[in-house]
Parts: sequence; C-alpha cells; structure tokens
Amino acid sequence: MQSAESSDLIDTLLDLKPDSKTWQARQFREKVKNGTQASYEALFAPELHLPLKDRWLVALYASSLMKAPELTAHYTEQALLAGIEEKLVQIVTEDHVEDIVKCELNSVLQFTKKLILDPIEGNEEALLTLKESGLSTQDVVVLGQLIGFLAYQIRLVAGLKAMRKLEDAA
Amino acid sequence: MSDVIKANGFTNQTLGWKAWLDVVDANAATPEQNKVLEASHPQAKTSDYYLLLVHEPHILDQRSYTYNAIMYAPGGLNRADRELGALAVSRVNGCVYCASVHAQRFEQLAKRNEIVRDVFEDLATAAKNERDAAVIEVATALTRDVSGFDADQLQVLKDQEFNEVEMLDLIHSVSVFGWANRLMQNLGEPVFPAQ
Repeated sequence: MQSAESSDLIDTLLDLKPDSKTWQARQFREKVKNGTQASYEALFAPELHLPLKDRWLVALYASSLMKAPELTAHYTEQALLAGIEEKLVQIVTEDHVEDIVKCELNSVLQFTKKLILDPIEGNEEALLTLKESGLSTQDVVVLGQLIGFLAYQIRLVAGLKAMRKLEDAA
Repeated sequence: MSDVIKANGFTNQTLGWKAWLDVVDANAATPEQNKVLEASHPQAKTSDYYLLLVHEPHILDQRSYTYNAIMYAPGGLNRADRELGALAVSRVNGCVYCASVHAQRFEQLAKRNEIVRDVFEDLATAAKNERDAAVIEVATALTRDVSGFDADQLQVLKDQEFNEVEMLDLIHSVSVFGWANRLMQNLGEPVFPAQ
C-alpha cells in the first residue's frame, strides 16, 4: 500500500486539493483511494512478464479510444518516457494499430480495443488468439486486469471531474 | 428464497462461472496466493474466477481491496443503491453472471424485487421511483458515454439530495463494475443450473 506521502495520480491529473469537497469525499473513502493508486502501481510494475512498454501502449490506446484527455496525456508521457518511439505512440493514438507488424503487440491492442469499447465482445476464441501470439496465461490475466482497471479509472476520472464542476457551479 | 426471474437471457438464479484458461490448483497454491484468496472472497478457493486471477496475486490483492472497500464500506450511500448501480451497469454491459449476483444482493438489501424483472426487460423504464431513476440514469450514462459525462448528469443525484460522499460511492460502484464485468465476460463464461 502506498504511503501517505506518495502522490496520488488522479489528484495530480485533476489538480484536486484538500479545500475541495470532491477531494474530501475521496479522502473519506481513503481505502478506495489507496486501493486505486496501489492497483495502478501493481499493473505498471516493471517486473511483470508482459512487457511494460506494451502495457503503457494498452493504457494509451484505451484512454484515447475513450476520449479521456487527462489520461491520454498521462499515458502518452509515460510511453515516451519508457522509450517508445514517437511514431508508434502516434499510430496508437490515431487508432491505426493494424499498421503494427509485431504479432504479439498487434493482437494485444486489437483485444484492448474490443474490450474497452464493449465488454460483450469477449469470447474464448479471442483468448486463444492471444495465447497463439505468444502470451502465457499469466500475461492474459495481467492484460485482462489492466483493461478492466482502465475501464474503471477512465470512468472514475470522468465522474470526479463532473463532481468538481458541479461543486464549482454551486 | 426469492422468485426466479428470467428475461432477455438474464436471471436472478445462482450461476456458476468457468474459466477459459487454466486456473491455479488450490492445493498447490503458494502461501501468498492462499493469503490473497482468503482476503478476496469467502469461497475464493473453490471459484474458477479467483483461482484464475490469483495467477497474479498482487494485482488480485489490490483489486479485491478496492472492490470490497467500494461495495461494503459503512456510511455514505446505502448499500442497496450501490447494488442497483452494479446491476444497471451489468445489464448495460450484458454481463449475465454479474447481473445474477447483484440482482440477488439488491433483493436482499432493498427487500424488494419487482424492479429486477424490469431491469432485465428494459433498463430505461425500470425505475420504480425518482431515486431509482437517478441511480440508473447515472449508471447508464457513465457506462455508455464516458466522454459525454458531465455535471448535468450528476445534477439528478443532487436533486435527490445525494451529498458528495454518496455521489462518489455511486461513481465508484458504477466504475468498478466496468472493471468487474470485463473480467467476468472476457476470461470465462457463466454456467447455468441444470434444468
């Protein structure tokens, strides 16, 4: 679990401060706040087998498909910091992932698009395709949790933004 | 035991769930995996869902901690409304397994079930009162159209006298079901009881 001193990604992205009621409501639900940040840190831990660069691209793709500006900016920054070339960042942001020739990354991103947009698209065949492209069961579990987390994070950020706007309008 | 309700492929019956990938053998789990299973759910050691996710125990641990804090923490929004939010999201996303579990939880907490059939039939007209309608409206909007979600959508909660913590509790419940539904729908499938 994160320490009290370490920074919270969502507070930083939305510039939420202790004087706002939205920040105070999050603080009242401190366990959720800490668990959200700790989930983020666990899913982007360098030591997981699924390559970290691929995970940043999954997050960038999901947030740009869902038109989540703060998270798209954050994951673009992380992708570039991780040393991913600008051209690839651009391909993913512009939704041209069919241009990616690397089989494993291609199937990871195709899977991401289907599931972030509509989870009912899930089927057994899609998992077998991932395994055939070289992912282990553990990798698929990480990917499934990552896409699920992103669906959560994107909605939470949108909800908190709306709360703050409502608060500011009052 | 409540009445069995079935409509549009949804049900409030107790369903099983089977993984599409190999799960961890509960008898061969590491001490860390055992600890995380125990903290996640009382029946985790016999559930394909948890035995699959525990391939990555640390991620499951943080996910369970977050989920349990959202759905079970005292204070704030009453738990029936959190469950109605979860049920509505599961209906929108077409998650038959999650819809069955959370229909049951809602019935137990709210002591009413007439809305469950109507949620399965047609979510948009299911609400029994203005408060139900506000919860369902926010759950639908945040699930279907995230980028269009705005303060206007939350005004319906304010009109029902939700305070900030109650609003946040509903946002958390709706958002975490975006996560839960995707795990349930994409890593395995529901198993229906024998007829």
